[in-house]
Amino acid sequence: MDKKENAPLAQIELDYQAREKRVWDAIALNTPDRVPLVCQDDYFTLEQAGITAAQAFYEPELAAKVHVEGVSKYNWDRVCLWASFPGRVGDILGMTTIKWAGRDLANHLDYQFVEKEYMLADEYDEFLKDPGDFTMRKLWPRMATELEPFAQFPSLRAMTHSYTPINDLPYMAGKPEVRRMLEKLIEAGQEYNKFEDIRWEATQAFIDRGFPVMNALEAGAHAPFDWICNYFRGMKGTMLDMYYQPDKLKAAIDLVTDPIIENAIQLATELNEKVVGIPLHRGADPFMSNEKFEEFYWPSFKKLLLRLIDAGIIPAPYFSGKFENRLEFFQELPPGKIWGHWDVIDLKKTREMVGEIICFSGNVPGSILISGTVEQTRDYVKLLIDTFGDTGGLMIDGASAIPKESKYENVMAMTETVFDYGVY
Amino acid sequence: MTEELFSAISNLSKGESLSITDELLQSNMNPVDILSIARDAMQTIGKRFESGEYYLPELMVSGDILSAVADKLKPFLEGEGDTEKIGTIVFGTVAGDIHDIAKDIVVFMLEVNGFEVIDLGVDVPAGKFVEAVQEHQAKIVGLSGFLTLAIKPMRDTIFALKQAGFKDVKVMIGGGPVDDLVCEYTGADAWGPTAMDAISIARGWVGATV
Repeated sequence: MDKKENAPLAQIELDYQAREKRVWDAIALNTPDRVPLVCQDDYFTLEQAGITAAQAFYEPELAAKVHVEGVSKYNWDRVCLWASFPGRVGDILGMTTIKWAGRDLANHLDYQFVEKEYMLADEYDEFLKDPGDFTMRKLWPRMATELEPFAQFPSLRAMTHSYTPINDLPYMAGKPEVRRMLEKLIEAGQEYNKFEDIRWEATQAFIDRGFPVMNALEAGAHAPFDWICNYFRGMKGTMLDMYYQPDKLKAAIDLVTDPIIENAIQLATELNEKVVGIPLHRGADPFMSNEKFEEFYWPSFKKLLLRLIDAGIIPAPYFSGKFENRLEFFQELPPGKIWGHWDVIDLKKTREMVGEIICFSGNVPGSILISGTVEQTRDYVKLLIDTFGDTGGLMIDGASAIPKESKYENVMAMTETVFDYGVY
Repeated sequence: MTEELFSAISNLSKGESLSITDELLQSNMNPVDILSIARDAMQTIGKRFESGEYYLPELMVSGDILSAVADKLKPFLEGEGDTEKIGTIVFGTVAGDIHDIAKDIVVFMLEVNGFEVIDLGVDVPAGKFVEAVQEHQAKIVGLSGFLTLAIKPMRDTIFALKQAGFKDVKVMIGGGPVDDLVCEYTGADAWGPTAMDAISIARGWVGATV
């Protein structure tokens, strides 16, 4: 991944700064020189180059090289690294919470979360009483087969005496199955480091070519409701809890909220990242009424957004699904501080209700990118510019990243339309 | 008492629903009639869902209550036979997609509304749909998919059904990435954004009037 040749360094730095400024201006609702393109390409450029998702998981060096080459061609204003995680790490630990290409799924598919009740309905008290202990002895063994020996450990509270280092811990480490687990963790750590190095090199390669990078996989957070719903109780379990044990559900959401916020701030600080991506899952319209949203979802999500803003970070929620009924809640947020990535939404209503509060990005339908024509793609991008351009707070991207099945000519049409039609 | 059961279920009170069911059983009410009240309540829940009064949590809770009531009735229902179905639908999440939440909701709502649903599960290859349509002589196929990667398998499945010669089989599709364009691209006969759309499409196809 050599630096782009023939371009003087100063020009690359100027390009980088111009792209950064364009994006920061749009988020602050200060009209930039042109509508920014901030496309999230998970697998599209890899697919175009004939690289399968399985290769992205198991041959990260190849994926990095192809991804950087492929994405650089589009001249987008902010790029996002491809979305695979290290398949080998998951293999070594026997991870069961996700299925991915090359292990559980066919080579061309990417990854999908396995939703189930990782915490059972009657385990709330145990979690609320001692979340650290519950995580170590119950959750971890349920997430990966090689972490099952954690279930044999004494409780964390029982290992708080002064003899723990010469007693409990070496006793546990001496067990063959625990020793195997520790060896697996070390092996996983080595693989993880290799993968991280490759991603950092790819990040640097983009910067060297003048492209700012958003580390969506590294710097991210979740709405606290989604955290419990996705990682603890599953959707059905959580929804039954809303009726059968609402107080315990709320207590669990409260318990994870501060750690989610602190972790996001810490990661963003370490990575020197101004933006924290927040993929939202269960706050969309069909998942609950506005009354339930206000009761269970909004308070902790709002707290997350405001605390990130206070820390000087730009929250970038991805409103997966339709969040039309929630727009009235988002009117409570401060203007010019949030980068909203929208999936499916009524444009006019969104413009009216939050167009001068939240910078609008995303929304170019996957159906158009995959099965539409160049003309339909151009028309849609123009519609976005016509609807939101006057706020200055508009950036262009696919509704749900750039689907890997997208037609090349449609992605090009989306890009070129912004360069032709999106100049302020 | 029967009205109380109807109202307990439709207002999502599980404890009350179960205790009234017990009382009705003790008073020797025919369990088939009790189940019929529960089904009527589910129709009302479906209507509230359609009108935007109820959402997914309410559907989940009502499903939980219905199955708890049905569990109580089961020992008394042996040999009573099933009520007549208004049509058979083969349903599944297409190849490559393992999401089951939306599919399960639609399947549940179709069953509550009197359809026999052959649920093939998730990540279902096109050939399985063809086999199931053949085996069950189904006239309707429902394809679900949450991810954009489901669009092509939907098209492949519909193509496979046509190749297999099922000319009178109708296909409806639904899920996150589905819209008019996807419907046209895949060759589906209809699509809808909600579970209630699936019911009204299927009802239209079997000529059901209610």
